Amino acid sequence: MAGRTLLHERLWRQNRDLASACLEHAFVRGLAGGALDPEVFKGYVAQDAFFLRSFLGAYCLAAAKCAGASERVRVFHDLIGGVLEELELHARYAASLEIDLECVTPHPATSAYTDFLIHTAWAAEPARIVAAMVPCMRLYAFLGQSLAPATEANPYRDWIETYSSPEFEELAARLEALLDELGQDARGLEETYRYAMQCELAFFESAWTRQAP
Amino acid sequence: MTLIETFERSRLATGAGELWHRGVTARFLDAVGDGSLPEEAFHRWLVQDYLFVQGFTRFLALAASRTPRPAQSVLLGGLAALDAELGWFEGHAGSRGLDLGAAAHPTCRRYVDFLVASAYTEPVEVLLAILFGVEVAYTVAWGKLEAKGPYAEFIERWTSTEFQQYVAELLRLADAHRHPGRQPAFDEVMRHERDFWRMTWTG
Repeated sequence: MAGRTLLHERLWRQNRDLASACLEHAFVRGLAGGALDPEVFKGYVAQDAFFLRSFLGAYCLAAAKCAGASERVRVFHDLIGGVLEELELHARYAASLEIDLECVTPHPATSAYTDFLIHTAWAAEPARIVAAMVPCMRLYAFLGQSLAPATEANPYRDWIETYSSPEFEELAARLEALLDELGQDARGLEETYRYAMQCELAFFESAWTRQAP
Repeated sequence: MTLIETFERSRLATGAGELWHRGVTARFLDAVGDGSLPEEAFHRWLVQDYLFVQGFTRFLALAASRTPRPAQSVLLGGLAALDAELGWFEGHAGSRGLDLGAAAHPTCRRYVDFLVASAYTEPVEVLLAILFGVEVAYTVAWGKLEAKGPYAEFIERWTSTEFQQYVAELLRLADAHRHPGRQPAFDEVMRHERDFWRMTWTG
């Protein structure tokens, strides 16, 4: 239908305030200009790697719940490949920054986000799981594209290039297309989407302040 | 030794150190004790605790389904008690005109997310430590108050001999199922208890 706003567009627009708050956050400005304290980035990488394992698990559970629909499973399969690549990026950072990713104590903001994801992924239907996961994908694509192109001298160039890449945009767009498809008749997705966006902002804030449990 | 003393000296409670203390003391409860509790705070507690119990029921149902017999029997008894407790909350909310369909406070939501996520992913030994943590925190926290004044019924509910004996059973189960993940999970319960009580007071 011409002129109809897709669900993923509506949700993104409703949450632009939070997306802007993330883009303007001191942590993200530090990545943009390259001036972020490497110790702060180190803490962020450890927390993000911890988070990504739950994110990976949530994709796996969503795929299992769609096992009867092979096209949907294929989307999750590719998204799972994307997270595995992100985890490789983190492993490279971890090696160069000397972080032990096996011994990460999650910050309260990290636990809040992973507990929410795990709860949703195990207990909810695929539409809601996807609604909980789109914010992370779309937000990171938005941040990466807003920060690109990174200068040669920016120490966080790798991060910016990963999330501004056409490959990452494609993964985010495919997940959003799945949300449009699965979410047509689902209820309560707005609340789930917004809570995930709030978790994203709290995650940056926590990385910035290096909040201990 | 009273049951409260037994709980306070349990390995999990002493292992939690300062977090244990923070999980079982609250400005909210001090105000219940000295009669200065604002009605607004009491109403907030009533609604959010009800929403918490709804989530806790999901946790306990999942935990019970995964717990082998004979321990399972204790958890199933706990579930029946939670059903009665939900009805009791509904009665109190109804008589005060409170909306139990309200949104969960983020603090309440984080606690429930932690419980349900754990119920799906943690081993039964850890779930038993979490279950003991949630219930012991309540009986010890309310147990610091004398059952009198306008909230006597509430104090009595979590300090009754029957409830304390149930908590003692949970302690026995928790101690009979050792696992290295028990203490961190118990500590996490105390963090959530601390945060929940703060939320009841500050909103």
